Amino acid sequence: MNSNSKQKKPSLLTRVMSPVHLGQQFVASFHDLWRTPMASLMTILVLGISLALPATLHLFSKNAERVSAQWQTAAEISVFLKSSVTEASAQNLLQRIKLYPEVQQVRYISADDALEQFKQLSGFGNALAYLDSNPLPITLLVTPTQRHSQPMAAKALLEKIQGEREVEQGKLDVEWLTRLQAIMVLIKDIVFALAALLSFSVVLIIGNTIRLAILNQKDAIAVMKLVGATDGFIQRPYLFTGFWYGVLGGLFASITVSFLGKFLGAAISDLAQLYENQFYMQGLNLPELGLLLSIAVFLGLMGSFISVRKHIRSIEPNAD
Amino acid sequence: MIQFKNVNKTYPGGFQALKGINFSLEAGEMAFLTGHSGAGKSTLLKLITLMEKPTSGQVIIDNNELSKIRYSQIPFVRRNIGMIFQNHNLLMDRTVFDNVALPLVIEGLSSRQIRKRVEAALDKVGLATKVKCLPYMLSGGEQQRVGIARAIVNKPPIILADEPTGNLDPKLSLDIIQLFEDFNAVGVCVLIATHDLGLIARMKYRTLTLKQGQMITDGLAHAEAV
Repeated sequence: MNSNSKQKKPSLLTRVMSPVHLGQQFVASFHDLWRTPMASLMTILVLGISLALPATLHLFSKNAERVSAQWQTAAEISVFLKSSVTEASAQNLLQRIKLYPEVQQVRYISADDALEQFKQLSGFGNALAYLDSNPLPITLLVTPTQRHSQPMAAKALLEKIQGEREVEQGKLDVEWLTRLQAIMVLIKDIVFALAALLSFSVVLIIGNTIRLAILNQKDAIAVMKLVGATDGFIQRPYLFTGFWYGVLGGLFASITVSFLGKFLGAAISDLAQLYENQFYMQGLNLPELGLLLSIAVFLGLMGSFISVRKHIRSIEPNAD
Repeated sequence: MIQFKNVNKTYPGGFQALKGINFSLEAGEMAFLTGHSGAGKSTLLKLITLMEKPTSGQVIIDNNELSKIRYSQIPFVRRNIGMIFQNHNLLMDRTVFDNVALPLVIEGLSSRQIRKRVEAALDKVGLATKVKCLPYMLSGGEQQRVGIARAIVNKPPIILADEPTGNLDPKLSLDIIQLFEDFNAVGVCVLIATHDLGLIARMKYRTLTLKQGQMITDGLAHAEAV
């Protein structure tokens, strides 16, 4: 009876699996994947591709952000001075604007220079010869510092410059910058929405794969329940399987994204060179790869957990 | 050890499988459960192993009232019951060793202990040489004995057998029953469901007879014959 009473109250130790057993199950579940190589491979590929798509888009938005950051520093404010302003007071204004903390550089274009440029660019050169005075004002080209080249800050700077009494009008081509920024935000939102949708489908796909695996093993699960296996014991290998799907799918996604990045990066570099621009596509960095892998593992576990919860409980042993 | 108090079982659809069953088996007792097909033998065993719940009445196993057992506790009740089935219910893709080891693995024993106890159990049923075989390589009688080894390997206080001799010839049947007698001799409570009346008549054990869901006799088999 001694042994009976011991069995009646299983100690915590016998309820919980030993680490060695866990390790064995963990490894065994990896090998189990190759019992059905095609099905496993399909699931891993679906998982990998589903994750590679938003990851690649992220790569693009990241690189586009870098490029647009270059463009933003090139933003200039054209400041047209009143025609009554003399060259001396214009120089004076130039010195004052140069002292603004927001300003990196100011270029002075005299009315004559402006006329010369206009003649060259517009093609009205001969017509301009009939004008008896130069209608063009003195122009200052103000380049803001990097910090103040963002649309909002640049706009503030423009207003400040317009406050100067010599200034007739300031012009900042901020529209396209605002639009670009809006597009960047949109792309980021699209990446996020796409990632959310695909993650959801990945959970469903893995859940379904695990469901099929459970139904395949229905008889074995019934037998295990009969000899006293807890649901926790039965579901553990399936959770491990979900984990492995996540790891392998995540690795596949990482490789795909790196490959796509390299492949498209070469083409983009060529294109950039035609624009006399040096550009190198930046791949995913280590934290990003880690995040991708973690998300994959999380989704794998999530899918298998939902499936296991629902289906293992519903299998009941039957003596017939 | 096993106690039924006025147990009724009605399946959905209205079929009444058991009607007012009362009996109790003490620890270390051995008994047969008999009756025609459909008399309720399987239902009675299912109630003991928590595969079904009684419609009314109480089933008490080892001082546990089964209706009070929560879902999460069911496995721990089942670990105290060794179940043997007519169709063996073995895992066909696992070796004899793995099959017998299953209850011990579930309980989380060390692999050294598992090896020792599995070998002892297989030795007991005379299959010590078949450790590495897969179930399909074995004969029906051998498969049945693997099932028995699995049922006894964790030394449960109760053994239930559902038609354990169903497909076996009389000589093998007797061997199997003798195995159960051996377990009973060391204090295990054994309940064997069978319709093999000839076998029961020879054994002179307490016999519970079911007919259309009612227990019509409870006593020694030869007393019924008189």
